[in-house]
Amino acid sequence: MEETVVMNEETGEAWRIVNIPGKPPIPTDQQPTVNVYASMIEPNLANTLIRRLNQIAPLENLRHVKRIRKKAVEGGKSQLSAILCLACEDENQWNCVPENVQELVNSYQLSPFITQVCKYAASSKEEWEGQCKLWPTSYHPPTYNINGVMGFSEEDSQSVFSFMKFAIELAKSSEERLVNAAVIVDPSNRQIIASACDQINSWLPPESNASMSNGCIEQAESLCSHPKSSQVATNVFPLSNGSSDKFRKLYTNVSCLNPWRSSEQRPRTSSCYWHPLRHAAIVAIEVSAAMDRHLFPALGHIGDECYDVEDMQSSFITSPAKRPKTNLTNVEKEDKQVLHTKDSCSISERPYLCTGYDIFLVWEPCTMCAMALVHQRIRRIFYAFPNPKAGALGSVHRLQGEKSLNHHYAVFRVLLPYELPTKGETLAEIADKDKRANALQFH
Amino acid sequence: MASHSTDTLALMELAIQQAKDALQFLEVPVGCVIVQDGKAIASGRNRTSETRNATRHAEMEAIDILLEQWQRDGLSELEIAEKFSQCSLYVTCEPCIMCAAALSILGIKEVYYGCANDKFGGCGSILSLHLQSSSEQPHGGAKGFTCTGGVMASEAVSLLRSFYEQGNPNAPKPHRPLARQATD
Repeated sequence: MEETVVMNEETGEAWRIVNIPGKPPIPTDQQPTVNVYASMIEPNLANTLIRRLNQIAPLENLRHVKRIRKKAVEGGKSQLSAILCLACEDENQWNCVPENVQELVNSYQLSPFITQVCKYAASSKEEWEGQCKLWPTSYHPPTYNINGVMGFSEEDSQSVFSFMKFAIELAKSSEERLVNAAVIVDPSNRQIIASACDQINSWLPPESNASMSNGCIEQAESLCSHPKSSQVATNVFPLSNGSSDKFRKLYTNVSCLNPWRSSEQRPRTSSCYWHPLRHAAIVAIEVSAAMDRHLFPALGHIGDECYDVEDMQSSFITSPAKRPKTNLTNVEKEDKQVLHTKDSCSISERPYLCTGYDIFLVWEPCTMCAMALVHQRIRRIFYAFPNPKAGALGSVHRLQGEKSLNHHYAVFRVLLPYELPTKGETLAEIADKDKRANALQFH
Repeated sequence: MASHSTDTLALMELAIQQAKDALQFLEVPVGCVIVQDGKAIASGRNRTSETRNATRHAEMEAIDILLEQWQRDGLSELEIAEKFSQCSLYVTCEPCIMCAAALSILGIKEVYYGCANDKFGGCGSILSLHLQSSSEQPHGGAKGFTCTGGVMASEAVSLLRSFYEQGNPNAPKPHRPLARQATD
């Protein structure tokens, strides 16, 4: 029995992906509606009638409303109704119907009735589904051509969950306190382009001297090394036996949650600098840009240079979805292979900034980070936990719905089957369950 | 247009010089200086093309210079926060939403800008992040700053126009503005 439960988790019943639309969703029963005249029509007349109606009574301000409704009735048959025209304010005034519509009604012996349709186009899939119960509408969100806005395939969902787990492990890999973590992914081949944690206290200025950079890189790497599930989890603070107060303290280092936190009067303990703007997303963008400069140093000079993998600060490894158990040395070998193939890529394959890429964040980004992701042309943002005081993707602001911006990403919240710090189960245990579930599936 | 003091104009002139510098390097021509006690202590210009990092706006460049320098001089976090609260930013274009949020995080005192930023502006055009008040959270809440727009706006606009007329060579093909379209 226990195994069945695990199977369910594996198939995504416990993990869920929810689209966060550009406008706050309005409950179906609160959406403004307008009255229209409609009538049942014979299926063989549908074409003729719709063409005629579109000429004599076009629904100018209701372009999202479908002219025709198809309803399944018993016996596998369907019943068609069409919208004739707008109804008047006063419901019973048949007089206001245009003369030529009246003629149409008479000549085809239609029996008009008044019904309601939604006045405005839906701004989310949920809203649209609600609207269609009233009368079918069409749905074209500003991001409608982005995969996932209309739902995820089983395979894509699993990939999303794997990368989110990876981001959470990264967020916990810091020694004492949770930080935010960001993982930029190329979804076309499920490769990680860049990953980073908050670096508020571990900034390495680009032009600082070498002796200082050593210590700082070391620290940055320990903060953001590839999480190896079992090892990381054993190092993590005790998840099971802390008071909620303690956990609130643990969150104070998540930079996006309170970007304005007061400065501390404490001496610098390491050679690293303090930088209040180095949030995980900002650092990940920087790493991905550095990677791009490294792989494509100059236009027209691709393939001339050798790259030193060790020299790179970013993690460039294969998808955790595919290889949950690779050890670090293997990963490094694969790095070289990946870089080698990338090396021989043609220039046309080089993406413009992060066009087409996804980013996985543990917490909803603050305004600064959310706008940085607009600038860098990220295609989709996935986050696990909302950021009620400073979040810019639905909590305080909603940048994905700002029409004036020149780029729009789709935003998704990934709902986990557990609360990050309060539930006793560690991610290692969950990973272990996943493993067993996989074993069950494939043997 | 409101008249600005000669000091304000002189400082904005420094920001314009930075923007011209950016233009020479085929960057979107936006420049800035950060000023303390009437003296420019750091400058920055857009470096988004060179770095392939679209977040490297002029403001971010200047902020990084100060953060590094002040810490090299041994200043603590608290002392740095205190310093920023005495600084003004002079920038040729209204700070975008990202930069306005960053300025609020740092707690800068005031911002003078040239032209408005109709597409991305975070100081009144799209969002008004400079008006955030920290009344709810006296410690560590959002910080606002005073904002004055329209300082040498026409100079800032003409620089941007000359950039977009030559076309952004780094934009992807379908987005690349043609000279014909940009002039209308």
